[in-house]
Amino acid sequence: MTIGILFLLLFGCIFMGMPIAFALGFSSVTTILLFSDDSLASIALKLFEALSHHYTLLAIPFFILSSAFLSTGGVAKRLINFAVDAIGHVRGGLAMASVVACMLFAAVSGSSPATVAAIGSIVIAGMVRSGYPESFAAGVISNAGTLGILIPPSIVMLVYSAATEVSAAKMFMAGLIPGLMMGGILMIAIYIVARMKNLPAQPFPGVRQVLRSGSIAMGGLMLIIIVLGSIYGGIASPTEAAAVAALYAWLVAVFGYRDMGPLKNIPWRHAQEPLARCLGRNLWQISWAFPKSFWDEEVRKVVLDSVKVSLMLLFIIANAMLFAHVLTTERIPHTIAETIVNWGLPAWGFLIVMNLLLLAAGNFMEPSAILLIMAPILFPIATQLGIDPIHLGIIMVVNMEIGMLTPPVGLNLFVTAGITGRPMTWVIKAALPWLSLLLLFLILITYIPSISLFLPNLLG
Amino acid sequence: ANLWAATPITVKFAHVVAENTPKGKAALRFQELMHERLGDKVKVEVYPNSQLFGDDKVLEAMLLGDVQIAAPSLSKFQKYTKQLQIFDLPFLFKDMAAVDRFQQGPVGQKLLTSLERKGLMGLGYIHNGMKHLSAYDPIRVPADAAGKKFRIQTSDVLAAQFEAVDAVPLKKPFSEVFTLLQTRAIDGTENPWTNIYSKKFFEVQPYITETNHGLLDYMVVTSARFWKKLPDEVRTEMKKAMDEAIAYGNQVAREQEEKDRQLIIDSGVTQVISIGEQERALWVEAMRPVWKEFEKEIGADVIQAALDANQP
Amino acid sequence: MGLRLIHRLEENILAILLVFMTFLVFAEVVMRFVFNAGIAWAQEVTLYTAAWFVLFGASYGVKVGAHIGVDVVVKLLPAPLRRWVTLTALAICLVYCALFLLGAYDYISLMYDIGIEMEDVALPKWVALMILPIGFMLLVVRFLELAWKVWRGETEGFHLADEGEESMQLAQELKAEQASAISQTVAADATKDAQEPKS
Ligand code: NA
Ligand code: NA
Repeated sequence: MTIGILFLLLFGCIFMGMPIAFALGFSSVTTILLFSDDSLASIALKLFEALSHHYTLLAIPFFILSSAFLSTGGVAKRLINFAVDAIGHVRGGLAMASVVACMLFAAVSGSSPATVAAIGSIVIAGMVRSGYPESFAAGVISNAGTLGILIPPSIVMLVYSAATEVSAAKMFMAGLIPGLMMGGILMIAIYIVARMKNLPAQPFPGVRQVLRSGSIAMGGLMLIIIVLGSIYGGIASPTEAAAVAALYAWLVAVFGYRDMGPLKNIPWRHAQEPLARCLGRNLWQISWAFPKSFWDEEVRKVVLDSVKVSLMLLFIIANAMLFAHVLTTERIPHTIAETIVNWGLPAWGFLIVMNLLLLAAGNFMEPSAILLIMAPILFPIATQLGIDPIHLGIIMVVNMEIGMLTPPVGLNLFVTAGITGRPMTWVIKAALPWLSLLLLFLILITYIPSISLFLPNLLG
Repeated sequence: ANLWAATPITVKFAHVVAENTPKGKAALRFQELMHERLGDKVKVEVYPNSQLFGDDKVLEAMLLGDVQIAAPSLSKFQKYTKQLQIFDLPFLFKDMAAVDRFQQGPVGQKLLTSLERKGLMGLGYIHNGMKHLSAYDPIRVPADAAGKKFRIQTSDVLAAQFEAVDAVPLKKPFSEVFTLLQTRAIDGTENPWTNIYSKKFFEVQPYITETNHGLLDYMVVTSARFWKKLPDEVRTEMKKAMDEAIAYGNQVAREQEEKDRQLIIDSGVTQVISIGEQERALWVEAMRPVWKEFEKEIGADVIQAALDANQP
Repeated sequence: MGLRLIHRLEENILAILLVFMTFLVFAEVVMRFVFNAGIAWAQEVTLYTAAWFVLFGASYGVKVGAHIGVDVVVKLLPAPLRRWVTLTALAICLVYCALFLLGAYDYISLMYDIGIEMEDVALPKWVALMILPIGFMLLVVRFLELAWKVWRGETEGFHLADEGEESMQLAQELKAEQASAISQTVAADATKDAQEPKS
């Protein structure tokens, strides 16, 4: 009865077009008022607790900030140049380089559609020019773009940590091997297709050029070293690492790459500028640009974009915690778990059911919303069935990746359609063969826990 | 309001630890005893693992009438009364027996009522145990701790305690301590054996000094309004059941402490250092200014009563 | 003019809160590693700043359409029905706010009565909690404003955030850049062709 009313209210509100945060909050509060003795005051207290007592949650706004500074076209171009220089000379190399560029961009961005947009808008056109079929290019990119949330840092993983209190640092560690593996699977598939269809290779630009473009791309890639390095190298907790990353990203974007802000379009060194003069000029320019960047319109826009996403996510999370509170006090996951155990459903069977459920949800909802609604329900059941919480998290993230590619709501499909100017049906067809690889990958991840758990276990 | 159920009295017991800990077991025993003796008249619900509220908010929820019993650690009360800071004072109690003598004595029992002005009632003390210092380097005398970063619970006394030996107190959430220790972002912690074992701190701390320097105990509290409104016979039974549950919990705590201490020593990954009378005297000397600093807030007579409890 | 100023002020407050949190946590790391010290009040202040940030920003989020949701179903409805569904949803949002305002009132009254302070900052707790009523009052204002617009037919529903659309902005910027780069190269090639004597 309670379960029924809670979910009826929740989905009723969601399908009326209410923002998910309010739908979660309203259905929870109403259920509490109807079925328990809790006071309104304690619900307000609970909401405030959700907002002010979870230090780990603060990693979310900080990572969003760092991603926003580095998820720019300029960074994308540098990563693509490096990837093409490094492996463009293999058969099908441009497509493989695009996958690598997506993986690298994923490592600085926490979002999948951003990865598709940044990398896709450059490389799809490039591939078509080099003689690849457009549907091939679009399919590869829309799929490789999903790695944005699997390769750390990942906003979706932070949301999972927030919903389940699983360590964010461990989730980040756990995503690394699956992310590399999925990238590898895509590249192998590309190589096979390239052999069969005789797709072109790029000329090799030489080791020096690879090193050069690599070092240019390094400014962005340092971020992942800072994040994972500082968590595991003894500098900081995930929240602190995220704050350091945000400051680093600001410094790189504004003073290093100069893609935005007061130094935009001012090169580090003019042609034929004497070294001493160049140093002096930069010193002077950076010292005035430093205070100026706080008032700069472009920097302000990046911060405001992060403000919007952060407060949206944190407000949903707070309301989802109320929702989880209702689930707990009404012992709903407990009841479902008992039912499942009574059915005699084993862990592997539960995982099938869970995957189908998540894939269905992925059709029409966004990843963070799905996680916040489903994780508090699935997590206790999975724990009872002996499934590792980190493994469960990775399974959920891979499901969310697939959700980005399934209609009617599939963010990566939308972005790919936008970039190519093609209709949705065309994009769906283009992505389909590659999507089947992702499904295969989901099965691997689901039934071989060590892919996800190897690194976190190794590093404690 | 619940429209469908109409139990006469519901008692929500909320705590923040697992059900298999001494405190968790005490809560379950209380639930059992109440059911045995009062049947369906009183319904006790136990919520472990911060399911309802965390330690910081649970007292507020209790005052709002949404939780009836909780057992936060004694440091959590510092904004409600200054007197309970006595239990955070370093090197004040020699051992657990001294703590017991003090808590069960007249002064300790009187401290249970120190929260009444804020609307709370103490029902008793549940032990976790005496705290010890763990660190990357061996710590024997106060000078060894100088310059090191120690994680503390939020408490003015605990901050002063480390500052007294020129160490650096850092407030960090308990959930992040393991990572911070592992990565050496902080040098050490202070914890009872049970925490050091269950949170695996010993695996990342090569040295543990058995200092017995402080106490990590909990106070079982209820809201004064709720307590006074109870029918007399229910209140009497409840107090009795709680006393028995607490005695049982403390028994479990003592056994657990001994067991975990042995497991840590047997693990061989960490070296346990004991300190002698002479070294302890050095620490007491170093910490006396802390007692002085808080003497006014706590009361000199209360501190004296605690010192007296050290003599059996 | 006044409205734009308020909008800008709202944005600046939110940006400052976020930047302040970032710097505070960063400062803690620096203090620990460079100066071997801690900032005793940092953790509590950061956490409360986060709460102020979110509760103050929730209404801004409604205004600029930062909240996410599912609108595939309402979009299928005929326009007049959709309008009524949206107005009902807005009414529910207002009920949600009203419940929280009542709850916040009781909660803050209690905290005012017992008069305890925050842990590390010499500030009464009830003051720190005032963002609850402030935030939900601001939400009420935004929802009423939105309801008025929907009623008058000036807008169709909640403007739900669309990550896909935002990512497209990035794609468009890149495309525009590339287009201008290509036209420049073409132009450069053309001048080169014109200058070089053909053999
Ligand atoms: Na990522
Ligand atoms: Na989808």
